[in-house]
Amino acid sequence: MGSIALGRYIPLDSVVHKMDPRAKIMAMLIVLIAVFFPSGWIGYAVLFAAASLMILLSKLSVGFIWRAMRPMLIMLVFLLVINALVVHTGPVLFSIGSFSVYLDAVLQTLYIAVRLLLMIMITTCLTATTKPLDMTLGIEDLLKPFEKIHVPAHEIAMLISIALRFIPDLIDETQRIMKAQESRGVDLQEGKLKEKIQAILSLIVPLFVSAFQRAEDLANAMEARGYMPGEPRTRYKVLKMAGRDYILLACALITAVGIGVLAWAV
Amino acid sequence: MPIAFKDVSHVYSAGTPYEYRALDHVDLEIQEGKMTAVVGQTGSGKSTLVQHLNALLLPTEGTVYILDRTIDANKKPKQLKSLRGDVGLVFQFPEYQLFEETVLKDTAFGPKNFGCTVEEAEKRAKQALQLTGIGPEYYERSPLELSGGQKRRVAIAGILAMDPRVLVLDEPTAGLDPAGTASMMKLFRRLNQELHKTVLIVTHDMEQVYRYCDEVIVVHDGKIRHQESSAEFFKDAHLCNEMGVLPPSLIRLEEMMREFGFAVPQGIVTEEQLAQWIAQEVKNHG
Repeated sequence: MGSIALGRYIPLDSVVHKMDPRAKIMAMLIVLIAVFFPSGWIGYAVLFAAASLMILLSKLSVGFIWRAMRPMLIMLVFLLVINALVVHTGPVLFSIGSFSVYLDAVLQTLYIAVRLLLMIMITTCLTATTKPLDMTLGIEDLLKPFEKIHVPAHEIAMLISIALRFIPDLIDETQRIMKAQESRGVDLQEGKLKEKIQAILSLIVPLFVSAFQRAEDLANAMEARGYMPGEPRTRYKVLKMAGRDYILLACALITAVGIGVLAWAV
Repeated sequence: MPIAFKDVSHVYSAGTPYEYRALDHVDLEIQEGKMTAVVGQTGSGKSTLVQHLNALLLPTEGTVYILDRTIDANKKPKQLKSLRGDVGLVFQFPEYQLFEETVLKDTAFGPKNFGCTVEEAEKRAKQALQLTGIGPEYYERSPLELSGGQKRRVAIAGILAMDPRVLVLDEPTAGLDPAGTASMMKLFRRLNQELHKTVLIVTHDMEQVYRYCDEVIVVHDGKIRHQESSAEFFKDAHLCNEMGVLPPSLIRLEEMMREFGFAVPQGIVTEEQLAQWIAQEVKNHG
């Protein structure tokens, strides 16, 4: 389980870690939109530089970004193959028998690869530097204005934080049940299809039972402490924007507008 | 062939910042046919230790010998499935592993996995359910609608139905009421004495250890701190304290009486015996 890098929080002591989650979420959204402008290689170079600077500031290692990117490689290879089959424009790069690969096929794949890399770098800047709980607080605050059109901001944030909170528990529970069923002779690796289905069933049924049990316990515990959805609540942790947060937002806006102008000019 | 650990270590998440050595060069021998208690504080490595017995966990270093099989840290293990049939492991709160539609089906699940025919598996399941005190009226009920104690019995029956030679139980009586605890412990003792099963039981309840177990193994910080027959172990209150184990109340009472100058003889192991001795003393001095 320790190998998943994408979306994981890395506790470090950096400026980016200390920034307000709302500022980080907004900045990320703005720059992500900029990634989708067709701004050409110069625009991507600018975005790459900006994202690299953020990663440098957040003290994350290059290896971590690489590990987050790695699962995407298979997809990119697949994409390259499809592009090679479909795209027939530009000069021919090389031919195998009657089959030729064109330059545009490779360029287009590279284009998507760069965009993907940028997106992963930018989102990682947010997810790796923001505690899940802070993130939900930020989301809740950002959704507040939409409460006027009946978006249940607080409930959405509560749902997300509860879901996040239970992920490690459910992983533990799954491993526990797996061991218990293996002790009863279940073989999760080998066996015929019918045995495999039975094996998975012996895992899923107890997992669901205990998940529902936990949900019910949690609901009771929350109600026992007077939790009422929709009622106004005070907060232990109050988010506050500081100077650096405004600077981040300004930088994100300038970058996005700049890229937009560049895309329009091209 | 007894069960033996030779220089066994188990390290979780080796090579990461979360690395944790749960077993630290453990040497251990457990005699077949005995009922042995594994005691120790939370996080001492008890559960890790017992999970090596049916190869759910494999040693990171060292060798485990169990029922003529050798599990070595450096060799790829074989015959794991047959080992799991021979060593029945009951986890903590085993009621969470129930999943079939009926009690009988769930209990027969284990034996079926180990190659029994449906008829044979159900026959064994019925025997096991009878042992744990679940009557035929429950056979066709869903295991999920039983009470907590009944679920526990069904889950334990599910392991007993596999007819293992060694029965390993990780805190089997946690959360049961005193009557339920006593009847469970009596059942394990019966399996040990009448059916000659080797029983290993992880527990915090020293009263039960003193009353039902032959041997005590004290685990501390991933090491075996002490191993002795339970009668000898509990005789020495100082040793118990040193091991961080609270002696059973009967032993503490005897100790207290000796401090007050009563010549309580050694070898009194039940409340009835002590009561008889006191009655005798009162009569003699009356």
